[in-house]
Amino acid sequence: MTQDLRYSALKKTPFHSRTSLASRTNKYYNWNGYTVPTEYSTTELEYTAARNGTSVMDLTPMGKYEITGGHAHQFVDYLVTRDLSEMKDNTVAYIIWCNEDGKVIDDGTIFKFSSTKFMLCCAVKIYNWLNDSAYGFDVTISDVTDTIAALAIQGPTSCSTLKTFGATDLETLKPFEMREYKIDGFDILISRTGFTGDLGYELWTDPKNAELTWDNIEIAGKELKLRPFGMNALEMTRIEAGFIQTNTDFMAAEDSLRPTRMRSPYEIGMGWLVHLNKNSYFVGKKALKKEKEESTTERCLVGLDIDGDKPAHGSVIYNSKKEDIGIVTAALWSPIMKKNIALASLKRPYGIQIKENIFAEIYHPEELEYRKIWARCKVVKRQFFNPERRNKVPADLYE
Amino acid sequence: MSGNSSFDAIIIGGGHNGLVCANVLARKNKRVLICEARKECGGMVNNDITNYVPPVTSAVSSSIGGMQINYIPKTSIALSETGQHIRLVGNQHIDHKSISRFSSHDADRFNDFHEKMSKFSKTLGSFMMASPPRIMNNSFSDYFKLFKLGLNVRLLGKKNFNEFARMIGLNIADELEDNFENTLLQGLIAHDSVIGSNLGPRSPGSLINLLYRMAIHNNSLFGGIFQIDGGNDQFTKHLIEKCKSNNVEIKTSASVKNCIIENDCAVGVELNNGEKMYAKKIISNADPRSTYFSLLGSQNLDTDVKRKIKHHRSKGRVAKLILELDKLPSFNNCDDIDLDSRMVIAPSIDYIEETFNPSKFDKLSLEPTLEICVKKDSDQDPKLDIQVQYAPYKTHQGWENIKESYVESIIKIISKYAPNINECIERKKLLTPDDIESEYNVSGGHWHHGEIQIDQLFMMRPIPGASQYKTHLDGLFMCGAGTHPGGGLIGISGKNAAKAVLDDF
Repeated sequence: MTQDLRYSALKKTPFHSRTSLASRTNKYYNWNGYTVPTEYSTTELEYTAARNGTSVMDLTPMGKYEITGGHAHQFVDYLVTRDLSEMKDNTVAYIIWCNEDGKVIDDGTIFKFSSTKFMLCCAVKIYNWLNDSAYGFDVTISDVTDTIAALAIQGPTSCSTLKTFGATDLETLKPFEMREYKIDGFDILISRTGFTGDLGYELWTDPKNAELTWDNIEIAGKELKLRPFGMNALEMTRIEAGFIQTNTDFMAAEDSLRPTRMRSPYEIGMGWLVHLNKNSYFVGKKALKKEKEESTTERCLVGLDIDGDKPAHGSVIYNSKKEDIGIVTAALWSPIMKKNIALASLKRPYGIQIKENIFAEIYHPEELEYRKIWARCKVVKRQFFNPERRNKVPADLYE
Repeated sequence: MSGNSSFDAIIIGGGHNGLVCANVLARKNKRVLICEARKECGGMVNNDITNYVPPVTSAVSSSIGGMQINYIPKTSIALSETGQHIRLVGNQHIDHKSISRFSSHDADRFNDFHEKMSKFSKTLGSFMMASPPRIMNNSFSDYFKLFKLGLNVRLLGKKNFNEFARMIGLNIADELEDNFENTLLQGLIAHDSVIGSNLGPRSPGSLINLLYRMAIHNNSLFGGIFQIDGGNDQFTKHLIEKCKSNNVEIKTSASVKNCIIENDCAVGVELNNGEKMYAKKIISNADPRSTYFSLLGSQNLDTDVKRKIKHHRSKGRVAKLILELDKLPSFNNCDDIDLDSRMVIAPSIDYIEETFNPSKFDKLSLEPTLEICVKKDSDQDPKLDIQVQYAPYKTHQGWENIKESYVESIIKIISKYAPNINECIERKKLLTPDDIESEYNVSGGHWHHGEIQIDQLFMMRPIPGASQYKTHLDGLFMCGAGTHPGGGLIGISGKNAAKAVLDDF
């Protein structure tokens, strides 16, 4: 059904009839011009489903761009910092891309169908960036955000749910692989990817197939603790997984007004995605090479294990002399880890050479009054939660 | 690879800037090779393109060990349909006298106007001859240069400073109408302000174009316009001879396909025939667009650099019409000396603006603005060499379909001033900006490899981040008119680029 969009400020996703039915709280937010639930019932319950059963999230608003043409592979390799020259068909790769100053614009995933067809997914809109970058390459960029309905199916029982739904032999799919299925007469692409740091899949199909898919997955997951989950629960899981969020953990280079707020990959823990020895040029290579050679990296993004149980939302981080050395970008009391964790952007050498005597100043709200807590922090790996089942092949199955 | 390079520098393009650059380098004992795509060097310093030149500055001349070129000063004539032409030679007293025949008010005003413009062009010029500062480079010398320009402007005094600030974005039409009442005089000065550019007299910024022109023409409106004795070829010949004596190797018909890049550094060039040559430094005399998109290659450019180069304005707006004659036509009320002058058909500001208007829509004006040069060597048939202002780079109908009618409309205009022109014509040849692009390998066919406008001058020429003759690729430099200070056949870009290259060795 085509919607009359003339008077609606925000678009509805093809799953809207189902997500609105599942919503008990009427809490929605604007994601790339779509209205999608922040929370369906309670965030904690949704989080629990993601960690113990299956969680379903409407991913449709995520920016999706199809890159086709003779130079598609070459172009993708040029666009991102990671060396993708050896990328195989039907695989997915996690990527970041930078501007000419070597500052990160966004992160995302790239799907390779063939050397002439790719799909790029990311949180923000980057059509203009892609198009301007593509000048001189034989590629066509099309924004397919509205023409592909997408769901995230995450959690320990997600493989079983999708198998019951009709995805035969799904357990053999390795992490960062994808496979085409024909289910109920519709083409469905399933990739073993996700943003929760757990076993999980993402599902891509025609918007016409959206409602049917949602209904059938709900039926398939009935006995497997399936629950729709919203952005708030996703935020909890992604912090536990140590995944970064653009404009939360760092400012997108194209969006930040102050040049000093832009971050290089090395400053947000993404140095492993920068391949300076890549044979060909990539956007930002010159600047990144210089940064590496001259060791001018100023900050770092680290995981913090914080004393106590009060989440350090937005806390300023200090050294023992009470000098300001950074800020918490995301924080959470992790139910599964039973730990008070946070991601923090610190001024080097703190977080790299100096990991001791770091403190967070936490303002804990208690009924219109703040309790000020001075909590000791331990610098730890950003990936707080990384269960074995996440990368296990074949994936765990449940009945 | 660069360790066993056979040359110290390879210059891509043997235009005059390339030749100057080669000579400066060679005089510092560098082994230089010039690769020229055409059959001969010289680029647009060509009788087919250029009629009048500014003088080469002593700085350029001495940097290559002196130039023995004879410059012949040229008078300018604003032709009038009624035969009441205005003749200006660039001498205060003579010009005052000729203008006062039409208006004593204008004559007095002209002196003041000239003095003011000359002062400002000198200020601008003091900044033009050296390499421009690079913004965001955080280098002391760059800040100092910027400070010096600011100081030079401030030293003009408060009144002049305010006037300079007022004029920098102004259109020339307003300024001329404020000063002069004679429309022919207004037309002549307006013509010189907009020639070679994409601006009409009423376009903002057309005034700075005139200041730029004056800065390279001895800070004079009509006093620094010359022809080279023996034709422009003498200029090229002289530079080539210098190259020979300095042991610069020149390869003609050697069209460069792209730069060879190793470890993110330019180390050589590959010719269209597959031949590869290596050098420690590569210098492009090509226009910025070709340099970046063809030589460097868009797969080696950051997105923001691509954006900047795509924004770079380099669409030419001047066509060249050459009329070969069996005898000289008689221009109304012109004597032999007049025929030896630079004749301009731009009877008023409005006339020029009307010519400009259709070009904005890639359409032709049937009443174009013209600058005519009569060539009458004793041993050859005479020729009319005509610069046609506001011929669009591309037209909707396609140039091939409308070239002929366009030529006819130009001749019709000339016939108003020289009624028997039609009887004299033997052959006609029109070079559109499109033709100039393909024949001379200049993107857009622009005289100056890019508009001379405030957004493309000084440290923004050709684009921010590439303003000190360096490109975004290590080892690759630029020395063409697209770099600071720009075109005009003055060779400063070539000389400054050579210095930048030498500093990098």
